[in-house]
Amino acid sequence: MDTVNNSENNSLKYESLKRNFNLFKQSKIGVLGLVIVAFFGLLALLQPFLFLTNIWDEATYHPVVGYDSQKIQATVVSCKDIDYPTPEYKTPNDCPGPEEVNIVAVAPYNPGIQEGDVIEQFIQPAPPSSKHILGTDSLGRDVFSQLMEGSQVAFVLGLLSAIVGVGISTLLGTIAAYFGGAIDAYLMRQSDLVLMLPTLPLLFIISAFAELQVWHLALVLGIFGGLGGSVITIKSQALQVKVKPFVDSARITGGSRMKILISHILPNVAPLALLYMVFSVTGAIASESILSFLGLLNIDMSWGLMISVAQADGYINQGMEYWWLVLPAGLAVTLLAGGFYLVGRGLDDVFNPRLRKR
Amino acid sequence: MLRYIVNRFIQMVVVFFLFLIISYLLFDAIPGNAFQNLLLNPSLPPYAYEETIALYGLDQPLSVRLQKYIVNFFKGDLGYSYIQFPKTAIELIAERLPRTLMLFSVVNILAFYTGFFVGKILAWRRGSKSETWITITSVFSYTVFYPWFALLMLWFFGLRMGWVPIGKFLTPSKWYDSPFDSDVVFLEMIKYMVIFSVLYFVITLLTKEIESLNLRRNIRLGSFFALLFISNFYWNTGQLSEMRFYAGDIAYHTILPVLTVTIVAFAGTALLTRTTMMEVLKDDYILTARAKGLSQKRIRDRHAARTALLPVVTSFIFTIVTIIDGSVLTETIFSWPGMGQLILESVLREDIPVAMASFSFIGVFALIAHFLADVSYAFLDPRIRIKSQG
Repeated sequence: MDTVNNSENNSLKYESLKRNFNLFKQSKIGVLGLVIVAFFGLLALLQPFLFLTNIWDEATYHPVVGYDSQKIQATVVSCKDIDYPTPEYKTPNDCPGPEEVNIVAVAPYNPGIQEGDVIEQFIQPAPPSSKHILGTDSLGRDVFSQLMEGSQVAFVLGLLSAIVGVGISTLLGTIAAYFGGAIDAYLMRQSDLVLMLPTLPLLFIISAFAELQVWHLALVLGIFGGLGGSVITIKSQALQVKVKPFVDSARITGGSRMKILISHILPNVAPLALLYMVFSVTGAIASESILSFLGLLNIDMSWGLMISVAQADGYINQGMEYWWLVLPAGLAVTLLAGGFYLVGRGLDDVFNPRLRKR
Repeated sequence: MLRYIVNRFIQMVVVFFLFLIISYLLFDAIPGNAFQNLLLNPSLPPYAYEETIALYGLDQPLSVRLQKYIVNFFKGDLGYSYIQFPKTAIELIAERLPRTLMLFSVVNILAFYTGFFVGKILAWRRGSKSETWITITSVFSYTVFYPWFALLMLWFFGLRMGWVPIGKFLTPSKWYDSPFDSDVVFLEMIKYMVIFSVLYFVITLLTKEIESLNLRRNIRLGSFFALLFISNFYWNTGQLSEMRFYAGDIAYHTILPVLTVTIVAFAGTALLTRTTMMEVLKDDYILTARAKGLSQKRIRDRHAARTALLPVVTSFIFTIVTIIDGSVLTETIFSWPGMGQLILESVLREDIPVAMASFSFIGVFALIAHFLADVSYAFLDPRIRIKSQG
């Protein structure tokens, strides 16, 4: 009898899952978000695969210690402090041009070199080629491989901190709503306290006395996010559930407090919690990128670090000339955070019937 | 009700007390102190460091320092800055705060209006192709990697096009022989902005009752330009005509930060308005309005948008609380000498009095906002009122 009930239950769950997924599919932006998230998920999984199957050589393609030199044939020219424009160059910045090298830069290492000679030159950062899809950075490391490593970091951090944060806030929020009184007052004041601390300076302080690894940061972000504002939101949702008739009838039929809390209130708060989780992934990814951009994380490679390196070497101020150093990492952060946000919007349409089409 | 407010107020004071202690302990946990670079200076005698430390009382045990700090804090003495010695923490904040508030209130007002406008239209055009695309664009402008975006804006408008200055608050070369202090000019600008906004707000209130939407909009727009015209005379009177040049220089420097932050900030309001507006459009009274045969525009602007405004305004109030916190990155990238830079600098250089003063300033700001929100909710919703008392 029990097993029949169970399988019936399961098929019911499957049915409702299918119906919800169909609802989700109706919102275009949700599907777009899912595609973006899946794309970055694929990137994150692809890199270990490429290394394990030896399609990529670790010495060349490793995101942190890999090195690949690109050689070009360069003509030696001399750039003098003369009045520009000259017949060859318009401004002083154009000399040496592409596939040219200033004699002052190479003379010390190549005795006897003269103007007009052709020598082999290493270029770093190298522009995109068939070997390096997105080129190499200023240290000769493959940018595409770095992008993949960065997406692993973003996924681990974003999901871990979101799960920790939402777990904490759902538990505390429902407890605050259900028990009320002193417990509620304590929890609310606690979240006030957390909200009062300014986030970025606080993370500066923490990174000053603790070496932050990725998962440390995920825990810190999760705990602060979970104790802060989301407790208040989830509590207000749980308050609405608490006054519903089925909670009263459960109490009248003799359900214990824990039983009501776990099997009646929590499941009804769960959709909102899931929604909150998806949105907080967005925030976690942004925080991680900002912290590693500012150089406060003890981390080998991430999207924020890629931009930090590009900025420190001055490539961002050169604009699109070195676009493969500037654009991919920034776009990746924006797209993945936006992708999770879009998924959240799609889920919102599923869970909130008032948002569906007229 | 009174009991609830008093109870809540007592809790608030306790929370603030805890907040002070926790912040002080956090700052104390940072290794080293503000004067350690004295040890590195070979031309100073070795006792210089110990004497400086003793002068500032940093050699005393933590419990004594903490106790002294909190007692002095409630006496209103927030101490001298360690780094910029003769200035007190309060002086530093008074100097920096107007710059941050000015920049971000302009941004917030702009972002609020554009965001609400865009969100309103998005919800109205639900399901159309343009709606999908604008929504996706605003989501990405909401989640854009902010420092990267700001640096690209600096590169494009500042370096490539050369239209706007690259960061900073003013151009020093223009101010060498200036008869005015930059803060005086800046306060004058704030005064002007406040007068302008109040006048425009009064006009908005006066035109509220006009039935025809087109006429109302035209009157508001016309009076806006009239105010701009009058302000031309305002800046020509007396001392202000000499200040005009310098005020222009400061205004020129605000363009890029305002533009950048607005692009990022408006999307949040737009997306929130879209959601609340969609919920409102499901309500029965909208159906009634349709059945009455009102024009689409009137239903959108007068019936739906009015109701949808409420949660948006609430979240807007909470955004104001996070201004100083959020200004850290913007001010660092645009070298805007405001509160954000002050906090960052004082935290990184362990200037504990200044850092504590700015932290407690933010804390008081947030606490009061939460208190007001709670009390107003309790007034509005009797269910919450009863439950909070337990």
